[in-house]
Amino acid sequence: MSTTPGASSAENGGSFDPRQAAALLDQTTQQARRRLAPSPPWVLATRAVMVLAALGAIWVSVRGQHPYRGPTAADIPVLIAFIVINFALTVTVRQRAMAGVRGRSRFNSVEITILVLAWVAAAVLMAALSAAGVRYGWYPTTVLIIPGLAWAGITAARADWRGCAVGVTVAVIGVAGLFAGPAGSWAVAGVGLCALMLAEAAATARQQRA
Amino acid sequence: MTDDGLDPLIHVPTRLKIVATLAALPEGDVLSFTRLQDMIGLTPGNLIIHLRKLEEADYISSEKTRNGTVSITTVALTGHGRTALDTYTRALRDLLGGL
Repeated sequence: MSTTPGASSAENGGSFDPRQAAALLDQTTQQARRRLAPSPPWVLATRAVMVLAALGAIWVSVRGQHPYRGPTAADIPVLIAFIVINFALTVTVRQRAMAGVRGRSRFNSVEITILVLAWVAAAVLMAALSAAGVRYGWYPTTVLIIPGLAWAGITAARADWRGCAVGVTVAVIGVAGLFAGPAGSWAVAGVGLCALMLAEAAATARQQRA
Repeated sequence: MTDDGLDPLIHVPTRLKIVATLAALPEGDVLSFTRLQDMIGLTPGNLIIHLRKLEEADYISSEKTRNGTVSITTVALTGHGRTALDTYTRALRDLLGGL
């Protein structure tokens, strides 16, 4: 069902004004890109604000701790809420965008397994470092390094170089946090991930308009 | 070709919407018939007619698979179809640039 004026005559063999054709082509292309985007700009921007607010709130809470003890009991619900809402938003929007889509855009079971294992490995590593008294085990940014590298590896194998850059950036944020101290690493994580997601939002918006 | 030098297969509003929508999919991806119908806003019968014309010209490919008892038809733009859309888009720009 077309809303383009004069389109019904064009459908029936009449002339289709090239200007209307150009407008319809642009409109359809932009709409399709928006509806098929697994991570639309508004989702990325929302997640950027959420990560900055959640991790920033924890940084404010822990920055005065001497010695560092980590997030307080009041911080834990904030962290959990952020993780749950971020996951739910991301998955819901992605599922809606990817409905009916099959092929390379979907992760296969091997890739999903690698990503899950990367997070598990990161958590196990942090626990092991903490138990061994290594202070980096307490830094929240440490958990970003292995999953970031895993994402970079998976996307590189798909020749998705933008995705690979995102994964590498996440890992770099993880490493940068190691130099900021345990409290400062919350700020590094919040600011770094927020900036990354805002950059992704801008790049995606630009791509959709191209 | 039309009088303006535009591909007559694409230069129809419905088929233009179909190829433009499928072109938004990354290469290597396919779209279910149901999702395409939802995005284009056509009746199934009308969509099938246009898809057949595009498939006869090798602009799109379609595949029917079974998922248990459910039959799923997926479509995608072929390389030939992407080239045809690129050619059409360039011709359209050239034509409008000259107007």
